[in-house]
Amino acid sequence: MPEWVPLGDRAIRFARPNVSVRALVRAIRAWPEVIDVVVARDDVAAYFAGSPRIDETRISALATLVDIDEPAREHVLRVRYDGADLDHVAQTTGLSVDEVIELHRSASYTVETMGFAPGFAYLTGLDARLHIPRRTTPRPCVPAGSLAIAGPYSAVYPFDSPGGWHLIGSVVHARMFDEHGPLLALGDRVRFAP
Amino acid sequence: MISIVRAVGLCTIQDLGRRGHMHEAVPPGGALVPQLLVAANRGARNPDNAPAIEVLGRLVLRAERSLHVATDRDGSRILAAGAELEITSEPRRCAYLAVRGGIEAPVVLGGRGTLLCAKLGAPLRAGDQLAVADEPETPGSIEPFRGDGTIHVIAGPDLDAFASDALATLEQTAYRIEPTSDRVGTRLAGPALPRSAAYRERSAPMVIGAIEVPRDGQPIILGPEHPTTGGYPVLGVIASADLGRFFAIRIGGSVRFTAAR
Repeated sequence: MPEWVPLGDRAIRFARPNVSVRALVRAIRAWPEVIDVVVARDDVAAYFAGSPRIDETRISALATLVDIDEPAREHVLRVRYDGADLDHVAQTTGLSVDEVIELHRSASYTVETMGFAPGFAYLTGLDARLHIPRRTTPRPCVPAGSLAIAGPYSAVYPFDSPGGWHLIGSVVHARMFDEHGPLLALGDRVRFAP
Repeated sequence: MISIVRAVGLCTIQDLGRRGHMHEAVPPGGALVPQLLVAANRGARNPDNAPAIEVLGRLVLRAERSLHVATDRDGSRILAAGAELEITSEPRRCAYLAVRGGIEAPVVLGGRGTLLCAKLGAPLRAGDQLAVADEPETPGSIEPFRGDGTIHVIAGPDLDAFASDALATLEQTAYRIEPTSDRVGTRLAGPALPRSAAYRERSAPMVIGAIEVPRDGQPIILGPEHPTTGGYPVLGVIASADLGRFFAIRIGGSVRFTAAR
């Protein structure tokens, strides 16, 4: 039987199954009484309107979910590679600034998790040569639209906020969040173009 | 029409929040103490979810025409055209002012309240003008708000991140509500809640009322604008029935917890 733990008296948390993230969100949101879902890197939480009604067979069934039968949305984000940490990233990785930019630009990314701030998408697909730990001291304010990397992820900050990631550029002409919600959604594909 | 004459602290338009957007990292938001918002709305014969003004601090407003208003504490009254009204959150952390018909605010992502973390709406400032909406008259009885007493906590889910006596420490002494608290998180000061040395932090889903504990051991209780994921372990989560009572405790006030294990 799958393991789950209470997250208060209106939500439960369990291990994230290794299946399509958009299928996962769609399946859990269809459970009776579920009003919200959060998918983090290793865990999933389901939020209920009242006391959680747990059907463990539903949790088990998530492990064999197939992806939904629609192509993933694809975005091409125009960026300027002008971030304040480009030199630092180059030094840390032993690459030139041009090589850092080329490795970041040529990869194809997927929104695997959303969290931290509204519309903040954790993008996987970053070249392993660019995986470096986050800054030891976070910046008190990273401007909205900043393109950044940390660990295995890349992301664009949707809002001015504190941030500990390495800034490598900024998006041009894109609003990552507005009154219609976030530009990027779980499962979307993203490429960057200078 | 209502004019804001003065706003001290944080004054925003709030309803009962948004549902269904947490997978996009948008937290529910909404009134810090929903029961008090509902009390003000019922005093103004509004639907429970009508947008009203949440005051964390002090607000002075002027009625530009005769208005029927109600707060969560002194019932309803008629405010004559040109009359001013002052609302102070003391002795609680927040107060609510509802206007018959509700405050006009657009529906964005399924809610009409200000959500600062998503730049939806903005804090009220002197000179702002608010329009009054046309919500149907809705009778409802006002339930008394009981503000005192111990706050109940459901233990976990990250008990393995803490020393075995952490829950007992949380229950033993009162904690003080710190002035750095906001709608994202309520910071408490008191005996440090010891973490276990072996625990490795990871980003996990969060919920309103979660007792997140940073390395310094001083707990942060997540509020309606909390990040949907967080990296600190959660010692417990405040029972949903006690959330309003907890968030109503004034800054500088104290709180005691009891945990269900």
